[in-house]
Amino acid sequence: MPDPFAGAPDEALLVAYANGDGQAAKVLTQRLLPRVLGQATRILGNQTEAEDVAQDAMMRLWKIAPDWRQGEAQISTWLYRVVANLCTDRLRKRRGGVSLDQVAEPLDGSPSVTAQMQTKDRLTALSDALAQLPERQAQAVSLRHLEGLPNPEIAQIMDISVRSVESLTARGKRALADIMAGRKAELGYDDDEPE
Amino acid sequence: MTNPNEDMLDDIFAQARAATPAPSDDLMARVLTDAEDVQPGNLLGAAQRPSLWSRMSDAIGGWPAVSGLAAATVAGVWVGIAPPAQVEDLTASFIGDEISINLFSTDLAFDAGELIDG
Repeated sequence: MPDPFAGAPDEALLVAYANGDGQAAKVLTQRLLPRVLGQATRILGNQTEAEDVAQDAMMRLWKIAPDWRQGEAQISTWLYRVVANLCTDRLRKRRGGVSLDQVAEPLDGSPSVTAQMQTKDRLTALSDALAQLPERQAQAVSLRHLEGLPNPEIAQIMDISVRSVESLTARGKRALADIMAGRKAELGYDDDEPE
Repeated sequence: MTNPNEDMLDDIFAQARAATPAPSDDLMARVLTDAEDVQPGNLLGAAQRPSLWSRMSDAIGGWPAVSGLAAATVAGVWVGIAPPAQVEDLTASFIGDEISINLFSTDLAFDAGELIDG
């Protein structure tokens, strides 16, 4: 069956959704949810939390649909901002010392599983370190280095100047490196980076 | 100037960027259910959201209760217009010759209540 929304911009789909088209929600979800979930996963390093944030962000999109002002902002920009805010809210709660729930790992010592566990530990450590940064720094660093976005787009998402983005990402990255320095051996970087 | 700690960080950033989880079927279903729940003007949603009239009729027990109430109302009006002799005698014995008409007489309300319960 041909996709009636093939090639339609996200904004048009959102308008169609707001006008009662059920198919538009499905197409929008297929288009947007993977990126929303990816952003949340990279910041939070935890699947369950990331899924909750992704669902919450999409719910906010559905709710704003009737009031969406076309041409004012791109849906992708708006979603980056919403996910970044929802994630830093979660990171803030972690500062109280609440550790993340660890997903059960398979008890298999094969190299691939060991490597996966190490990657997971590194991403969890990164997320915990992001939680210790000031929120704006954490957002700028995650958008720049985890999402790979250019500074002008980050400026738009965060509603600040490009210079401010540069400053936040530089300071944030330095602070993050310092925080993580103490976990080098634990994260398997001793052999790679002899002191 | 290269900071070795930043080299480690760059490596971890690269591993994080490679993490591109696919949404599970469960998450897709949750998101689509949310979309359906809050969708404005959705024909399906409108069908699921009953009209004021049907919500009112549901509140009192659906169509059997509505028809029971309608019958009770007609009967009450009829009693008012042409009260049976027993009613006249009864009301006269209590309050003289005046006839008080109560469209929601307790007997009829009881009948409607039985329908609601049933």
